[in-house]
Amino acid sequence: MASVVEKPVVASGVDAGDAARRRNVGAPQPAGAQPVEADDEKKQLKKEPSFLDVLDQWEWVIAPILFTVLAFFTRFYKIGLSPIVTWDEAHFGKFGSHYLKREFYFDVHPPAGKLLVGLSGYLAGYNGSFEFKSGETYPEEINYTFMRQFNAFWGAVCVPMAYWTAKELNLKRPTVWLVTLMVLCENSYTTISRFILLDSMLLFGTVATTLCWAKFHGQRRRSFEPEWFFWLFMTGLSIGFVTSVKLVGLFVTALVGLYTIEDLWRKFGDTKMPATELAAHFVARVIGLIILPLLVYLLSFAIHFAVLTNSGPGDAQMSSLFQANLRGTEVGRDSPLEVAIGSRVTIKNMGYGGGLLHSHVQTYPEGSGQQQVTCYHHKDANNDWFFYPSRRDADYNAEEPPRLIGNGDTIRLIHAQTGRNLHSHEISAPITKSDKEVSSYGNLTVGDEKDHWKIEVISDVASWDRSKIRTLTTAFRLKHEVLGCYLRAGNVNLPQWGFKQIEVTCTKDNKPRDSYTHWNIEAHTNEKLPPGDPGKYKSPFLRDFIHLNVAMMTSNNALVPDPDKQDDLASQWWQWPILNVGLRMCSWDDKITKYFLLGNPLVYWGSTAGLGVFAILVAWYTIRWQRGYKELSQHDVDQIHYAGIYPVIGWFLHYLPFVIMARVTYVHHYYPALYFAILTFGFLTDWFLSNRQKVVQYSAYAILDAVVIGLYIYFIPICWGMVGSNKQYSYMKWFDSWRMSDA
Amino acid sequence: MARSLAVKAPSQARRASPSPSPQPHGSGAKSKKAAKRKVDYTSEGVEDNDVFLLPVSDYQVMILVTIAAAAVRLFRIYQPTSVVFDEVHFGGFASKYIKGRFFMDVHPPLAKLMITLFGWLAGFNGDFDFKEIGKDYLEPGVPYVAMRLFPAICGILLAPTMFLTLKAAGCRTSSAALGAGLIIFENGLLTQARLILLDSPLMIGTAFTALAFTSFSNQQELGPSKAFQPSWWFWLLMTGLGLGITLSIKWVGLFTIAWVGCLTLVQLWVLLGDYQNVSVRLFAKHFMARTFSLIVIPMAFYMAMFGIHFLCLVNPGEGDGFMSSEFQSTLNSKAMQDVPADVLMGSRVTIRHVNTQGGYLHSHPLMYPTGSKQQQITLYPHKDDNNMWLLENQTQPLDIHGQPINGTNAWYNLPELPYINDGAILRLYHLNTFRRLHSHDVRPPVTEADWQNEVSAYGYEGFDGDANDFFRVEIVKKQSKSGIARERLRTIDTKFRLVHVMTGCVLFSHKVKLPDWASEQQEVTCARGGTLPNSVWYVEQNEHPSLGETAEKVNYANPGFFGKFWELQKVMWKTNAGLVESHAWDSRPEAWPILRRGINFWGKNHTQIYLIGNPLVWWSASAAVVIYAIFKGIAVLRWQRSCGDYASPTFKRFDYEIGTSVLGWALHYFPFYLMQRQLFLHHYFPALYFAIMAFCQVFDFVTARVPGIGLKEHPIINRAGATIFLALSVAVFWLFAPLAYGNPWTKAECNRVKLFSTWDWDCNTFLDSYDAYSSLPISVAAVPTPEQSQAPHIPPVQEEAGQQAQVPLGGAQPEEPEQPGISGAPLPAGHQVLSREERIEYRDQHGNLLNEEQVEALKGKVEFKTRYETRTRLVDADGNEIPPPEGGWPGEEVVAPPHPDVQGAHGHVSVRYSS
Repeated sequence: MASVVEKPVVASGVDAGDAARRRNVGAPQPAGAQPVEADDEKKQLKKEPSFLDVLDQWEWVIAPILFTVLAFFTRFYKIGLSPIVTWDEAHFGKFGSHYLKREFYFDVHPPAGKLLVGLSGYLAGYNGSFEFKSGETYPEEINYTFMRQFNAFWGAVCVPMAYWTAKELNLKRPTVWLVTLMVLCENSYTTISRFILLDSMLLFGTVATTLCWAKFHGQRRRSFEPEWFFWLFMTGLSIGFVTSVKLVGLFVTALVGLYTIEDLWRKFGDTKMPATELAAHFVARVIGLIILPLLVYLLSFAIHFAVLTNSGPGDAQMSSLFQANLRGTEVGRDSPLEVAIGSRVTIKNMGYGGGLLHSHVQTYPEGSGQQQVTCYHHKDANNDWFFYPSRRDADYNAEEPPRLIGNGDTIRLIHAQTGRNLHSHEISAPITKSDKEVSSYGNLTVGDEKDHWKIEVISDVASWDRSKIRTLTTAFRLKHEVLGCYLRAGNVNLPQWGFKQIEVTCTKDNKPRDSYTHWNIEAHTNEKLPPGDPGKYKSPFLRDFIHLNVAMMTSNNALVPDPDKQDDLASQWWQWPILNVGLRMCSWDDKITKYFLLGNPLVYWGSTAGLGVFAILVAWYTIRWQRGYKELSQHDVDQIHYAGIYPVIGWFLHYLPFVIMARVTYVHHYYPALYFAILTFGFLTDWFLSNRQKVVQYSAYAILDAVVIGLYIYFIPICWGMVGSNKQYSYMKWFDSWRMSDA
Repeated sequence: MARSLAVKAPSQARRASPSPSPQPHGSGAKSKKAAKRKVDYTSEGVEDNDVFLLPVSDYQVMILVTIAAAAVRLFRIYQPTSVVFDEVHFGGFASKYIKGRFFMDVHPPLAKLMITLFGWLAGFNGDFDFKEIGKDYLEPGVPYVAMRLFPAICGILLAPTMFLTLKAAGCRTSSAALGAGLIIFENGLLTQARLILLDSPLMIGTAFTALAFTSFSNQQELGPSKAFQPSWWFWLLMTGLGLGITLSIKWVGLFTIAWVGCLTLVQLWVLLGDYQNVSVRLFAKHFMARTFSLIVIPMAFYMAMFGIHFLCLVNPGEGDGFMSSEFQSTLNSKAMQDVPADVLMGSRVTIRHVNTQGGYLHSHPLMYPTGSKQQQITLYPHKDDNNMWLLENQTQPLDIHGQPINGTNAWYNLPELPYINDGAILRLYHLNTFRRLHSHDVRPPVTEADWQNEVSAYGYEGFDGDANDFFRVEIVKKQSKSGIARERLRTIDTKFRLVHVMTGCVLFSHKVKLPDWASEQQEVTCARGGTLPNSVWYVEQNEHPSLGETAEKVNYANPGFFGKFWELQKVMWKTNAGLVESHAWDSRPEAWPILRRGINFWGKNHTQIYLIGNPLVWWSASAAVVIYAIFKGIAVLRWQRSCGDYASPTFKRFDYEIGTSVLGWALHYFPFYLMQRQLFLHHYFPALYFAIMAFCQVFDFVTARVPGIGLKEHPIINRAGATIFLALSVAVFWLFAPLAYGNPWTKAECNRVKLFSTWDWDCNTFLDSYDAYSSLPISVAAVPTPEQSQAPHIPPVQEEAGQQAQVPLGGAQPEEPEQPGISGAPLPAGHQVLSREERIEYRDQHGNLLNEEQVEALKGKVEFKTRYETRTRLVDADGNEIPPPEGGWPGEEVVAPPHPDVQGAHGHVSVRYSS
């Protein structure tokens, strides 16, 4: 640790203290500080050139190869042992099938990972006909082993990448090995990689992004050179990939984002740097880390839409126009193009996940006590409404030529099944108290001007002409004439008396861009008008993209479990770092090969303890620094900063969101965070052991390595499959909550 | 040391002369030297602003400000003469304190205790129930003015506190007076301070803490010479006391604690960095002093308040339903006799659900209208014969001849005590109806989930039962008392599940109410895979002839003060977090700094109280925060570019002092974004206080401290600016004042100041001219309404409907504002509300009306539950009565909303006629 710098010691990024003392952080380091470790080892080995010497020289090739081989062995061994659909294979296998059958489906995760699952099925020669029901046996024709291997590949590749990452973070060779071993011999990583799930890809993406980030950081003194650009763009690509697999990828994106902000902030503070260079840095990062990932993400959706061209189970989540463009759909078929008085229509809310305007004979239990109006997602005769003229205009006459409706017209909407008018009045809505209640009231003759709604056209994909309302393409608002409020269906569910359907209100807020107040005609019948083909207009890609993404977010938040139901699979955030629980991935029948999701205890407990130790370490040095001790060189500070603090931030970013999140959580949500905890653990062993005597070092590393490997082998049956009675595996049941055995 | 003395001398000299102090900044070389001489943690550019050492003229200003505040706050404080907004609750709590009846509220007790004290001293006996907004105070003789006086006094003191705080922060007297003036003429603060509400006490608590901590910080920043001096100690201890007070009024005090905590950490960090003067030992002393003052004192104070709270509330009340059985057993008359410990076959027991406060496993001779149509099983919160169950073995016991002994008394004379061990299979026999607890594969009435089965009572007298009556006892060892209670069934100590043998489901209950046909009692089901907490039961009452007087007895463990304290905290937290229902007058935090909308408090007699701030004060305060944020953003950017702004002490002080206030604002504002519960404009007041402080400090710096812009040299600008701004604020205050005081107003004036449609008070309420008010038969002052004098037995009518009722009979009201109505129910022209009557109807559990004889016959045998209903009789021009339209009369909804904080918190306690 040859420290040349005799400047005030800095723990940048940690302290909030005196400004002046932080000044020197950005200053370039002396070149000598960097390759210290390599020197050390070279000196040692020059004395006696031998076989070991050769091994040592070629370690950078041999070690990764060896680790990769082991990774592939542990991840692939007996991968096809269990011929049944295990755990979430039921979901992701099914999504793969949808791609193969090209049926539109809806899911909370972005499509890249599932596209790859579909690809693996395609490569395996699978035709998409299997339903992937949980617990069912795979039929002959599916080469599920290949599909699993395809997934396991991503998990296995994480191991050499962890090796390179640790190396790039300036850890010593034994630590690099330890970190790699901890990733290799991590039972939970092994198990999760062996099935048709997205987690191995997510893990791959997270590890790859970290690697690229570390590599890019390593190039920081060689800005704008090809290698620098290469790693910048690789970082961008892997960010794009990981976020396209699961939105959890946003957390590692945030890590890179924080690093980039800090980096640019320092460059901004470097008064010697010309403004153009600063701008170039900024632009390069915008392109590499924002635009490039965004393009990758968009591309994954473009492929998604391109592949899924048939009508399927996810139609209802999309806009009417999008649905009309799917093959085999009912939406828009033979509907007349333009809407007239007397048309029978269904009216769809254009908000994300919006349903069809609906009414039924049940009444509001409070408020006016009149008939309920809701939004409903399923097709039903109660969704049908008639356009009728306002009470001021001439009555509807079935004989006369159709009167078309356009922007600014005032109409009534009559519910087809009950004959009542869509109505609103000065009574608070049942849930959203600040809005007005909307009900169905009266009939053709009974009623008043509070049944009048004025049409305000917002936009029309098909035409600039606003004088007509067109099926599917026209987005319009309905303004209540008397109250001046707008018909709205936010994503608020009514209680049981409203059958948990969506509340419809009339809102005083005039926000033309609020898509929950936008409506369009979905189904349309009118015998006097010629049938048209409203579906010939394409819904714009970007609009579909945004629509689908918002729908994904909102339904992800809606995954709230039934509070009364005991969920043995779910677990809570505090249980993960202490390895309190595992997860049974299939039924626990004696005849079935059983898999249990549980980590390597040393890796979990060690890495969790490491986080605490790291906090103490940082607090210790910060306080000592404030007390005027100058004990850390600039190189030491940088090492803590990049090899210690950033992994810890990564851990927090991947962990805290699950603490806050209200949705149901499972153990595997911790796996990306665990990787950063392992890196922190690596940093700490390196920090505490590197300056010790060789004996201490060797024995410490030997013990750690041996225990990691030993525990891995001890627990390997839960990863490779437990055959036979679960009782014979009770030796692994250290705690009652580790339910790998019923004994 | 030499340096600190050197600083001290000029600083005292400076204080003596109000003229702006010369800064060492003037000559570069000198200032560098001065900077080098700085050897301890003393902050640069700080003067001693001890508020005890102000010139006499400042105290005169302070007294003047106080008098002004009193005049403005107390003006017509008796108005209105009826219950306003949340007085429903906080007045009601005072009644309950006086009666000693336990209640649950989401706020800590201090302010409610003080309100009670004021009421009690004025002779309030707790008989008035503050039931609804608009209920009259005068007739029952409630000393409501005395009760309003407490918040008013708090509100008055807020002005001098602001004055002193700004002085302690180093502002000129004129700037400090401006701050106090803005507090006085802030309409929102005024409205809150004139009613029985908690916000005014909360504000004075926060403000006092800010004063104490500002003074302490000032002493602290003066360096080692002031540390541990009397003034330093005094203000440190006062900060702790202030925190305790604030926290004991509302939990918003936690944000104040966060503010003090953050700044204390900064101070400690600076101390830590002065390694030449502050030894580790000295640092430890600093640290301990703060730990004691800022943690121990507030905690102790807070707990003491709850101590008083528990001392006052000794009787059962409507808050019982929130608390555990252990807690309830500490209340008078809820305490239970000791019960035999062992539960035996043949015991008559009551079985209670652990997790919800739903009560006892209950059945009554009513059938489910759905599902199996068998007899209902519910949870019922009160003691009742229908809660009694007899625990039977799966089979009847055998006598000495090997023959089964039949009948329910079969277990009474067995040679050995028939204990119920873990895993025993039982039948539960309902004594009153001769039916047994039963379950089968039928969906429950409300929760129609696949994994839940209906539970019913099934059979008849003499029926042997079937296999669906069998339940297995499974003791939950972790929740049971250790020892014998984990081996066999024991009263209270054993917590167990009842597993239905045939289907494997577990007896289960959750907070789901059954409909009217079961008197809204709680649903009981049998669940496969229900959560454990909701599946756990215990035996509370237990009788068995074989267990004599000498048998071992048990009772609830007394939770003790800490147990009760902690349980109440948890319940308050949960209730608070559960207040998520939307409310007609709620608002989200983003609407507050721009004063988007207010809260409708009260409306009657063509007057209205609507909580809205003084827009000028409000927006200026928000602007100050924005200005600081921009300043800070630029300062940080320039700092990173090494521009050296921080070399100027004025710059540094501006950043730190206003930063302190803005931090207070931020900590009292941003946390609300994280809250899912319903929020109101009045939650912004503590943040507003800090924002006003920031505004005055910015004003002070710009007009009197920043060198080089030419204002500092002319003290007149500071004074004139303050005067002009204050005058403008008073003018704006005056425009909106009728809404704060509930004064008469005119439509025209109202519409003139209603700048935004989101300021949704109703101008149509007011009359066209002030003259019209004097011709109103009901004066706003304390004159009884005509109805009351004519027909005293008619209770005061409520709210808007009251507007109609209080119009003299027969006299047409030309300017009647149009009532928002439901179509189909327009009020026919020419109809008059004749009267509203209240009479008592008795109905049985089926809703049948009972006549007087039947009622007489039932008296003493049953409990009666009272439900209020207001009936409106309407006659047309010919005097014929008009039947009420469906959905009630239009406009009958209450203008001001029910209590926002506690609404929905009180569990609906259902009482039924037990037979």
